[in-house]
Amino acid sequence: MRNKLSCSLVRRPPTTEQSPLVWLVIIVAAVGILFLSPQNAAAGDAPAWMHAQTSVSLPAYDDKTDAVLLYSETNVTVLSADKVRTRVREAYKILRPEGRSYGEVVVPFRHQQQEITSLHAWCIPPQGKDFEVKEKDAIEVSPPGVDGGELVNDVKAKLLRIPAAEPGNFVGYEFEIEERPFILQEEWNFQETIPVREAHYSIQLPQGWEFKASWLNHPDEKPVQKGDNQWEWVINDVKGIRKEPSMPPFHGVAGEMVVSFFTTGGPSPQNGYSDWRGMGNWYANLIGNRVDASDAIKQQVTALTASNRTTLAKMRSIGEFVQHDVRYVAIELGIGGWQPHSAADVFAHRYGDCKDKATLTRSMLREIGLESYHVVINTSRGSITPETPAHNGFNHVIVAIRLPDGVDDASLIATFQHPQLGRILFFDPTDSITPFGQIRGDLQANYGLLVSPAGGELIQLPQQPANTNSIHRTATLTLDPAGGLKGEVKEVRVGDRAASERWRQQTVTAEKERVKPIESLLAGSLTNFRITRATIVNLQQTDRPFGFNYSFESDGYAKNAGGLLLLRPRVIGIKARDFLETKEPRKFPVEFEGPVQDTDSFEITIPAGYKVDDIPASVDTDYSFASYHSKTETDGSVIRYKRTFEIKQLSVPVSRVEELRKFYRTIAGDERSTVVLKPADK
Amino acid sequence: MLWADGFQPVSPDELKLTKEPMAQGAQAIILFHQVNRDDSVRGVAHQYNYVRVKILTEEGRKYANVEIPFWKEAETIDHLNGRTIRPDGSIVSFDGKVYDKSLAKARRFGLMAKTFTLPDVEIGGIIEYFYTENFHYVYDSHWILSEELFTKHAHYELKPFRGNGFYNIGLRWTWKDLPSGPGPVEGPDHIIRMDVDNIPAFEKEDHEPPENELKARVDFTYEVDEAAKDADQFWQSVAKKLNGNVDRFVDKRKAMEQAVAQIVAPNDPAEVKLRKLYDRVQEIRNKSYEISKTEQEEKREKEKPDVNVEDVWKRGYGYGAQLTWLYLGLVRAAGFEAYGCMVSSRAEYFFNPKTMQPSKLDSNVVLVKLNGKDLYLDPGAEFTPFGMLTWSETGVQGLCLDKNGGKWVHTTLPESSESRIQRSAKLKMSETGELEGKLTITYTGLEAMYHRLDARHSSELERKKLLEDAVVGQIPFAAEAQLTNKPDWSSSEAPLVAEFDLKVPGWASSAGKRVMVPAAMFTAHEKGIFEHANRVHPIYFDYPYETADDVTVELPAGWQVASVPSAKTEDGHVVSYNLKVDGETSLHLSRTLRIDFLYLEQKYYPALRNFFQAVRTADEEQVVLQPGTATANN
Repeated sequence: MRNKLSCSLVRRPPTTEQSPLVWLVIIVAAVGILFLSPQNAAAGDAPAWMHAQTSVSLPAYDDKTDAVLLYSETNVTVLSADKVRTRVREAYKILRPEGRSYGEVVVPFRHQQQEITSLHAWCIPPQGKDFEVKEKDAIEVSPPGVDGGELVNDVKAKLLRIPAAEPGNFVGYEFEIEERPFILQEEWNFQETIPVREAHYSIQLPQGWEFKASWLNHPDEKPVQKGDNQWEWVINDVKGIRKEPSMPPFHGVAGEMVVSFFTTGGPSPQNGYSDWRGMGNWYANLIGNRVDASDAIKQQVTALTASNRTTLAKMRSIGEFVQHDVRYVAIELGIGGWQPHSAADVFAHRYGDCKDKATLTRSMLREIGLESYHVVINTSRGSITPETPAHNGFNHVIVAIRLPDGVDDASLIATFQHPQLGRILFFDPTDSITPFGQIRGDLQANYGLLVSPAGGELIQLPQQPANTNSIHRTATLTLDPAGGLKGEVKEVRVGDRAASERWRQQTVTAEKERVKPIESLLAGSLTNFRITRATIVNLQQTDRPFGFNYSFESDGYAKNAGGLLLLRPRVIGIKARDFLETKEPRKFPVEFEGPVQDTDSFEITIPAGYKVDDIPASVDTDYSFASYHSKTETDGSVIRYKRTFEIKQLSVPVSRVEELRKFYRTIAGDERSTVVLKPADK
Repeated sequence: MLWADGFQPVSPDELKLTKEPMAQGAQAIILFHQVNRDDSVRGVAHQYNYVRVKILTEEGRKYANVEIPFWKEAETIDHLNGRTIRPDGSIVSFDGKVYDKSLAKARRFGLMAKTFTLPDVEIGGIIEYFYTENFHYVYDSHWILSEELFTKHAHYELKPFRGNGFYNIGLRWTWKDLPSGPGPVEGPDHIIRMDVDNIPAFEKEDHEPPENELKARVDFTYEVDEAAKDADQFWQSVAKKLNGNVDRFVDKRKAMEQAVAQIVAPNDPAEVKLRKLYDRVQEIRNKSYEISKTEQEEKREKEKPDVNVEDVWKRGYGYGAQLTWLYLGLVRAAGFEAYGCMVSSRAEYFFNPKTMQPSKLDSNVVLVKLNGKDLYLDPGAEFTPFGMLTWSETGVQGLCLDKNGGKWVHTTLPESSESRIQRSAKLKMSETGELEGKLTITYTGLEAMYHRLDARHSSELERKKLLEDAVVGQIPFAAEAQLTNKPDWSSSEAPLVAEFDLKVPGWASSAGKRVMVPAAMFTAHEKGIFEHANRVHPIYFDYPYETADDVTVELPAGWQVASVPSAKTEDGHVVSYNLKVDGETSLHLSRTLRIDFLYLEQKYYPALRNFFQAVRTADEEQVVLQPGTATANN
């Protein structure tokens, strides 16, 4: 088990979405002395298994391949349900200077559950003696900082620097780790960002035990029996995955095997599962009676809902209480990475992480007679798909509320019709800037594990209509003969478009910073400007549209050219993106965060004495995944520019990426197109 | 004990407070911050810290999560307690757990943290906590007043260490940017005290001076014997001592003369000699710029430490500072009047001799007298051309060392024209508005040095990508650049020249029957600079520089230039800009931008912002083209 259920607050620095060990790098930089700390001068020969790799012939890798994983071996020995020993060996050849990082060994572990019993690393240079470093040369680190609410957990890592990790050299390491597993399941992530030449995985089970292996993003491979209840899988020549902008999450595309093991009769809900239903049982078992309400919770629910006349109003009051009055603090030690604290404790302290908030929400809803369930999910859509074997690839918990008959309202958008449970509303009590009734984009169309009394069930959350995530921008502007432009803009934002601005506004530390998002928006489109007035609408009222109303002036906006005035009718806002403008052929689909529907509607009054000589052609481009329409019209002395931009599908397959590139180019062209004004008397 | 144990009473005003007029929009403010340090107990120190925070917004509740890092080998933390005071005045005691987090642990050190969170925190509430740090040794200490939050009131005390009976210890303190008030005052009990009110929250901004220069602070320095009071005498003494150290390292006259004889010819002109010596020193392996080695690697290489310039010369390696002193030895042996200088890098601090902190003279350069001129040289700074210094050593104060106590000098600051990016392009536009052709970029001076330093450990492919990304990143439209030559990455003196095949698919835009193209091409950096109207801090650039663009665009056959924008000139004294477009059947775009300052006071920000707005406006001026039979289409 590598993951834990404690996503950081939404739109905070993404602690759970960083490359897994970014924080380790941060702390190493902070300490600054890891690599200066003297290491034991004793050196030893690299082991035979590593030396054997120095003579293997390699295919010709392209010049972007930093290193190759020549050999990987993971041997898992299940000693009992309480003790699993794993030995890992890996050997790399560094091919380019950028591959030096493979000389920095990182072994993550959970210190309350796992112990690294040995750690060695070696370098074999082409000439001279081998280098060896050992566990005592390592530095042990854990994540610093409490700003994101991650107060304490038991995740640590050993870092070891291998000497002479230079191009042409072979580096490798071996470590052994003993674990008291919470779940009898292991993952073998055999695909990396660099090529893998040969990878072995074996498992030794006690007498009478069985296993179930499931594969993801790779055809099923059959194991070879190597001994008494010992099984081995071998894979050769796995391609490296090069990262691309807006690609699916790495775990959603990389080859992986999940192996569950259990005594005869199948997994126990105490410590194992081999399917989603079983995982749901395991998690329900962890939740146990932690949802039970204390007297204090009951009193709070009574107080909160006393003035609410409808069930929906009561639900909303409870939801907003947990979103806003219970702050996000994660304390995760041992099983606490997965198991929520009791609702009573969370309420008493008024803090908790996502699973704690979900537990308290359920507890309070139960007090008004509503049934609800934990939903375990990964905030990177695509990490878990229907093809994913049951395993703990999640990092967040939300709530599914079973809506009673008669509770119906247009504000309840994130709903789902379950065949047995009826209509369900999804609610994220950790997300204080998404209103009750909706979920943010990265949860939409995502797969989560619904934990109900019937066990676990992988379900797809709903995709909300595009118009629930939009910017509707209108502007009334006046152009003067010198090209100066001034006027008023009104922006109405809903969905994630609103949440992101609310987040920015909530994190400002001084009143004068509130205007900065508007300044940044204008700076993206105007070469100069003065904001003469700005107000924010519905900053705190998350159930209402967020708005910016502002006035600005911009000198020389329209350009004088040979007696003509050149005016770009798309005054502000940029939809074009250029991340697909690359020579490299695209390998993976393009993923969008959520559906979008934005509209711009600008009216520009041209100066007296000028008339329109030329206007840009309309643009109408419509693909199944997105559309863009723009039109410039004249009406006497007024130029009207309207456009709509819509993201309809959340994923664009590789076969259609070229269309997406054309789509963005079309938008870029339209965003620069110009109206030509000329003196009325010519 | 310098401090009372336990919580201090909360006033009704503190409870009632809902906003602070001097910190509008703040998430939280520090109502009270107290620091009492007692160094007087022989060899150890104790620091009591008391923090009271008013929570003003939902986001501000995060300040109830507290992490106090400390070095395990150097200190302990105890007497930690905290509480929450609800807006109604009721108190929630902290009964949670204080976690001992091991942030980093190795054989010889351990970085720990005490971590806790206070319960029941709500908007309008107050959180407070106190703790004592017990240091195993007495250190120079600092009162850093500028915090992430606005501070309403703070009280500081230091009871200094005065010696152990066998020798005396003196204490000196300096301060900067303190709010109005008497500053630190030593009482009759020899305790230094300071009370301050209304300390603004520290803000970060682009192009700001080093943070150390922006925060209000008091620095204490211990000295053996009585603390020096006269700065001139102090520095004279320091200079003599440093000069002695340098002389001991450099004074290998015979070895240096033999080395000089191998490098220069007797008849070489003086400057040629200096350059040859400089180039030769830069050829020596500079360990300061290598990837750090493990102890095993160092031991296996059996490299002995250099104890003087002769060692450096004979062994053929040294750290950057040692190479610079080798140069001093060589130029002196070649008969030049030359001095070792200790200067203060401006990367972290701006040096002020009045603070009497020799540790801030942290870089070395050589001053050579040549034809009545002062030449500052630092061949130990890799890729630094002759006659220049690495950026952090330019325009700084330093101590020119001699046996008489030295003198203060200022290193030269290169003019903007010495650190230049020259972009020359010959391009052809298609009838669909696509631009394609050749681009040559020439980096000189510190611009070349920066690129070479950045790429010094990279592969050819990565260097290529670095340069290509730099081109694409400067064009505000989608573009493709392909490096076609092999730039000289190893030289210090020669400009870094990179040649590209360039393609800009959507350069032209349509306007019915006309086609428009922008008057400038490499403008992306200026598009995103100084976009906000408010500014708190001064403006700071690493070094003066200039860019010069010369772009020729061949138009499709039959196309005509209908109109070009008039030439633009913006001269802001320390910044200037010129744009000129001309042509009939082809276009010639020329643009220069000069940044000729390091530091501008905040009051000049509006003028500077206006300058860049004018630059952006001019950059987006449009050239109107009249197509022949076809029109641009993108």
